[in-house]
Amino acid sequence: MKRRTFLQLGGMTVASAFLAGCQGQNEKLIPYLIPPDEGVTPGKATYYASSCSGCPAGCGILVRVSEGRAKKIEGNPRHPVNRGRLCARGQAALQELYHPDRIQQPLRRSGPRGSGKFQKISWSEALDLLSDTLKELQQEPNTGSLALLTPQLTGSLATLTGVFMRSFGSTHHLAYELLAPDWLRLANRYSFGQPDLPFYDLAETRYLLSFGADFVENHLSPVQYGNAFGRMRQGRDTVRGHFTYIGGRMSLTGASADRWMPAKPGSEGVLALGLARLILAGSLHDKAALSNSGIRPEELLARLRNYDLQRVADATGLAKNSIVEVAREFATTRPSLAMAGESVAFQSNGLEAVRAIQLLNTLVGNLNRPGGVYPASADPSTGALLRKESSFSELLALIASMRAGKIKAALIKGNPVHTVPPVTGFQEALDTVPFIVSFATVLDDTALQAELILPDHAALESWGDVVPLAGSRTMVYGTMQPVVTPLYDTRQFADVLLATASRLGGPLAAALPEESFVEYLKFSQAQRFSSEKEEDLELLWVELLSGGGHFAPDQAPEKHYRWASSAVIADPPTPAFAGEANKFPLHLQVYPSTAFHDGRGAVLPWLQQLPDPMSTVVWGSWIEINPKTASSLGISQGDLVEVTSPRSSLRLPAVVYPGIRPDMVAIPLGQGHHGGGRYAKDRGVNPLTLLSLLNGKEQLAAWNATRVRVTRISKKGDLVSAGHPEGSYRGDLIGI
Amino acid sequence: MEKLTSPYKWGMVIDLDRCTGCGACVVACQAENNVGICEKQEIAEGRNMHWLRIERFWVGEYPDVRVRFLPVMCQHCQDAPCEPVCPVYASYHNPDGLNGQVYNRCVGTRYCGNNCPYAVRVFNFYPHEWPKPLDNQLSPDITVRARGVMEKCSFCIQRIRRAKEESSAEGRTIQDGEIQPACAQTCPAEAMTFGNLADPASRAARLARSPRRFHLLEHLGTHPSVVYLKGGGREHV
Repeated sequence: MKRRTFLQLGGMTVASAFLAGCQGQNEKLIPYLIPPDEGVTPGKATYYASSCSGCPAGCGILVRVSEGRAKKIEGNPRHPVNRGRLCARGQAALQELYHPDRIQQPLRRSGPRGSGKFQKISWSEALDLLSDTLKELQQEPNTGSLALLTPQLTGSLATLTGVFMRSFGSTHHLAYELLAPDWLRLANRYSFGQPDLPFYDLAETRYLLSFGADFVENHLSPVQYGNAFGRMRQGRDTVRGHFTYIGGRMSLTGASADRWMPAKPGSEGVLALGLARLILAGSLHDKAALSNSGIRPEELLARLRNYDLQRVADATGLAKNSIVEVAREFATTRPSLAMAGESVAFQSNGLEAVRAIQLLNTLVGNLNRPGGVYPASADPSTGALLRKESSFSELLALIASMRAGKIKAALIKGNPVHTVPPVTGFQEALDTVPFIVSFATVLDDTALQAELILPDHAALESWGDVVPLAGSRTMVYGTMQPVVTPLYDTRQFADVLLATASRLGGPLAAALPEESFVEYLKFSQAQRFSSEKEEDLELLWVELLSGGGHFAPDQAPEKHYRWASSAVIADPPTPAFAGEANKFPLHLQVYPSTAFHDGRGAVLPWLQQLPDPMSTVVWGSWIEINPKTASSLGISQGDLVEVTSPRSSLRLPAVVYPGIRPDMVAIPLGQGHHGGGRYAKDRGVNPLTLLSLLNGKEQLAAWNATRVRVTRISKKGDLVSAGHPEGSYRGDLIGI
Repeated sequence: MEKLTSPYKWGMVIDLDRCTGCGACVVACQAENNVGICEKQEIAEGRNMHWLRIERFWVGEYPDVRVRFLPVMCQHCQDAPCEPVCPVYASYHNPDGLNGQVYNRCVGTRYCGNNCPYAVRVFNFYPHEWPKPLDNQLSPDITVRARGVMEKCSFCIQRIRRAKEESSAEGRTIQDGEIQPACAQTCPAEAMTFGNLADPASRAARLARSPRRFHLLEHLGTHPSVVYLKGGGREHV
């Protein structure tokens, strides 16, 4: 063969190979020997819309599913609450689905309580055991011996559990969460005559004054407010919103503030009234807003005459000139906004302080205005959009019933053994309940106490609906749908209730005839849109699921806040603290961890590995101490210290933390699980065990009113932080 | 030789005035890129595998103390100190201006990590495990890196590749906002903006012309593709 022919032939071969290669689309490269399931294309991902159930904020999510496996959670851009954004906890919810220590089938306790010894049983055995026990309870004269404990519930699950308990004849349904905003509802009822939670128009405000409201990590709707904060700072061409944070500990939210005012714990109410007096005295208030609210400025000024600058400065420990500046800026930079948070509310004078902060908003006309505060979207107390929340006093009532031996069986969803402070006596009271059923997905602290464990689906395997908490001015209704087929032999909590109802028969079965929770959901949709025809309903259902819910168009709702004519400004009482000042010199603040919320995130390794933004600590607990206090106690970073409260003591490593008052220490919530799978078990400490019980007005519990003392034990604190305590670079070097 | 050109020069603008330091980007990155789960001991040795970290700086003393957050990922330098030192060309520069890392070329000399002034390259000192069924979550778009391999932020190159394939099938260029790395996508405060810096009209390019702009360790002359916008308001107006 000639050289030229060889080249020609070779060229043709290469060209034809290229041509053949170019023809096929990617999908055709994989031969379909076995036809794939409907909708599954190898290598091509599908996105399913659902809702996050990690906290009550109820953000919309899109789950990327590839070959039947959930791969990634992203925010739903159409959802008005989170606008396509998501927090660390929402991102990590995938690991709840694929957690290696998930309970795979029903378990029955075989050893003594708390031993963690269980034997596997089948669902029919488990349901028989449950319905037999409940039948016995029904035959007793007092059917109120069944208790149901859940986290806060919304939507159809709230309705279903309500019907279940009512038809069973028991009133003991407790939907208590430590961080629930019941204090805010109560304060609103006093101040505005209505319990609706506020929607703060953070994005449009020009001056934000946060009294311990940690909206970046946990307050009400963190992703919504985190997004609004970004827009407040840089979303407008000429305006950059100013942010002042008030609180003895600089939280993650406080870290973004332009001005930090470390007021003494429990003095925030006095500060708010002092600011109000300065605003009135300087005649900087909104006169029209005040007369609308029926407040006479002269009378109010006379009423607040005790809150002179000297007294406020003494009570709060703040400089006089900064108080005067903040009062002037807050009143003159409108629209402005004052927010009250958990660290204020969890003081013995919390209710009065929160109300004083609400007065500030009223005074400068921030109510119902762009950049101010509105009532959040309607959350009706009945029908398909019910919200079930229980107050602290209801928790105490249930504990009293348990102690009196009135509760014979408890159905528990969630992990109250870990998240209810032991000082309430909840854990001992639960020990007296003979039959405990847990619906845990991993063997958590509550499940360890249970007689029967009926494992729930993970959130990504579940049906459901969610009414987001206070994240929007308009009505938002999010749906949840399973994005993968269930991994194990688990059943959804609601389905177990329905199955039990049909086994028990009688009024329960009549009230809950649906066979599955999906049917129940569809039925509640039918009720909601009762005017629609049946075929439309099916279409509507598909639309709801594919869009992730029903989001009402932006329109101003009817509701408004109006200062109640009967509202009296109460003087915040001197804050009370558990523990004498000479024996226990330091104020303890417990705060929800950024990663774990109240502890539910601690089971997930991504969140354990996520360095805490402020301390950069990973995989553990720590106590934050001011550098001066630490050096006076001989404590350095990473030392093991003992924290002693009047109630108990704990050992944990110390973090030297420049952003905290010298008379305060702080411990994050979330760690200290006895169960909870391999990632959470026996890791860190639960600071709730330190707390004493102090009640403020209306039995609001004061969780930030315990004093402690701290002593150094050794230098082996086993503290691991991902970052250098000072930051990796010199701040001046990079000009930050 | 034909010059390698591309209509794209990927870059990111991070507005520190928006950043709240919440850590959502860190978990989103770990979820998207099959980043290994590190035990406590591993992190104690300084061997955390996060591609994206949030630096935290305390400025001043109590009570006049402030905190600054700085999300740091690979800066995709145009004069990258990590590239010339790799003996096997695992660390290379691609035509889009990305600083690429070819995992199956990497022999683990760690020269690139030593030479990176931003300390964003992470080395698999240990094999990482995803106890079953956690491995179901692993993304099929990205390799799971073995022990002995250097890895780092790729600006979610799998997303860039997907967008390129889709746009070239439709015979167009990639539009502004079409690609978002996992961190920018999830950031609640919208502090991160990703885009084509070669297109002066793109959102990222417009933000990158802000008077608040700065590069991390600018004096080293690495010419990073990540632009930071100063936060802190009044001090820096």
